[in-house]
Amino acid sequence: MKKTINIPLGSQHISLLEPVRFKFECENEKIISVDSDVGFVHRGIERACTTKFKFDAIGYVVARVCGLCAITHSLSYTAAVEKLLGGEITKKAKYLRILLLELDRIHSHMLCLSHTCENAGFEAMFMRIMGDRELVMEIQELLTGNRVQFDYINIGGVNRDINSEVAKKIIENLYEVKQRVLGYMDEFTNNWSLSLKFKGIGALSLDDAYSFNAIGPLARASGLNIDVRNEIDYLPFNEIGFKMQTQFEGDINARNIVRLNEIFNSILMCENIVNGLPEGEIFTKLKGKPNGEAIVRFEAPRGELMYYVKGNGSAMLERVRIKTPTFACIPAFTHIFVGENYADAPAILASFDPCLSCTAK
Amino acid sequence: MLTSLIKAFTNLFKKPQTIDYPVTPIIKDREYRGLIEYGEESCIYCLKCEKACPPGAILFVKTETPSENEKNKKGLQYHYNPYLCIYCSECVRACPKPDEALWQSNKKPLPATKEGKVNESWFELEKLKKTE
Amino acid sequence: MKKIKVSLESVREEIESFYDYKKWHFLTLNGLALADNRMEVQWIFSKYEALDEVVVYYAEIEYTDIIPSIADMIPSAIISQREIVDMFGVKVDGSEKGLYLDEDSIQRPLSGCAI
Ligand code: SF4
Ligand code: SF4
Repeated sequence: MKKTINIPLGSQHISLLEPVRFKFECENEKIISVDSDVGFVHRGIERACTTKFKFDAIGYVVARVCGLCAITHSLSYTAAVEKLLGGEITKKAKYLRILLLELDRIHSHMLCLSHTCENAGFEAMFMRIMGDRELVMEIQELLTGNRVQFDYINIGGVNRDINSEVAKKIIENLYEVKQRVLGYMDEFTNNWSLSLKFKGIGALSLDDAYSFNAIGPLARASGLNIDVRNEIDYLPFNEIGFKMQTQFEGDINARNIVRLNEIFNSILMCENIVNGLPEGEIFTKLKGKPNGEAIVRFEAPRGELMYYVKGNGSAMLERVRIKTPTFACIPAFTHIFVGENYADAPAILASFDPCLSCTAK
Repeated sequence: MLTSLIKAFTNLFKKPQTIDYPVTPIIKDREYRGLIEYGEESCIYCLKCEKACPPGAILFVKTETPSENEKNKKGLQYHYNPYLCIYCSECVRACPKPDEALWQSNKKPLPATKEGKVNESWFELEKLKKTE
Repeated sequence: MKKIKVSLESVREEIESFYDYKKWHFLTLNGLALADNRMEVQWIFSKYEALDEVVVYYAEIEYTDIIPSIADMIPSAIISQREIVDMFGVKVDGSEKGLYLDEDSIQRPLSGCAI
């Protein structure tokens, strides 16, 4: 007689925000093998970028890959094209780009934290965090004119300047968010029922993090020092107080703590930017057509995002390759599931913060 | 335990976080990115906005009854599809006369209905544009 | 960005001698359609904690060639291998079709001869 049973999770499941299917093979409660299917929302964006749109419009196209890290997508693409065109953008534009990037990271991490709580059965915390997340959404809307699709980055700079009212509101709201996040920090470290679901569950060891090439908060929770903000120089992250956040346990709790610490770090960076914003233009016109190859990496909220862009001197590009963070992490995800209880699977999955519309693009 | 009881009790009298929508209107920021508006009198028919628009939501198509504007030599007419527009305001930045000929408002589009035939009429325009 | 040309036969050896899993980080496998029914495959690596050090191994191949798999050395390569199979219609050792595309969709969309 067969000793194992197959239990699917997805493609529609209460704990999922986006369609993905995992097929777990379980022996009693333990997961012994995992199979995944991630291609439910494939939209052919890479092909559209090389057949339908001119290079200056693609920044807006790739922003539609994903709603949560829209800004990182358009930023990476624009940075790649700027590299090919060989222009330098102003310091102020760079600072404003980081500002929005970090605001985006704050709200994305808050969404992930709330979602992990929900999947661990703590609905009240979910609502609390989602409610507080509105504070960040509000300033994003003031800054860019839209809550989710910012369309803020543009080849050569940014689209909108910041005025003193908005700057004041950003500082106020971020102060408020900081107080709330301090409250979560307490909850995530001391709450007994959350620790039951989070501590020691879904752990990834440092060695496995290396060999599976884990990235983002997943890797940093295992103690792997990988943060692209530390490895690039097109934006001055170190100037404005970036600090790598790592933990060592590698379990769900460690991932949550990494995210919370990153929120604090991002708030600090945003405050520094708003207080010390250099004077200058926000836009420099770059001339020419992209020619040659460029690889650009950025740290999206979920980890490293890579763009490969190849142009041939005409308005149509030859190739746009998007490597999204969740996509690269899928082998690591499936590895973590093995040996865990099926009942913990939703909470573990949420703690990865998977973004399937990125993955399938 | 006690603090959580007190919290639970005070929560009963707290106002909800959400907005009671149709009764209380949602406050729209002045700078909110919404529909693109067009002032025919000031337009110089340079067609820069049409070229700049990523999804192609602005089309200038030949018409039988062109406007009086003397810049409009080819007899074109402006068409705008609010349901295709992504509100990126590339067109406004491309326009040589922003605020007079083309500007961004903070208005929302009405919901598209089947009766409005938004898609069908737009496809017609796209076909016309192609055959020109 | 440093580009190193390899051939399909030697790529596994080259990567094996180069790849130290504590120093290098496998980014992705990338494909690029070239003229005359050829394509370029790129194995892209970056270094941990170094300032923008990216190394690209690349090989020019025909669509009929079989690309060797590196998933035994680098387990995370499996997913990008499956992607390239779908997108370019090439064969990668041990990677099956169907990560994104269904049977009734456009096949090999990025290969320059989509069907
Ligand atoms: S706002 Fe953007 S999408 Fe809308 S019409 Fe203008 S350029 Fe086109
Ligand atoms: S860019 Fe401005 S002036 Fe030119 S056609 Fe468009 S609306 Fe008219």
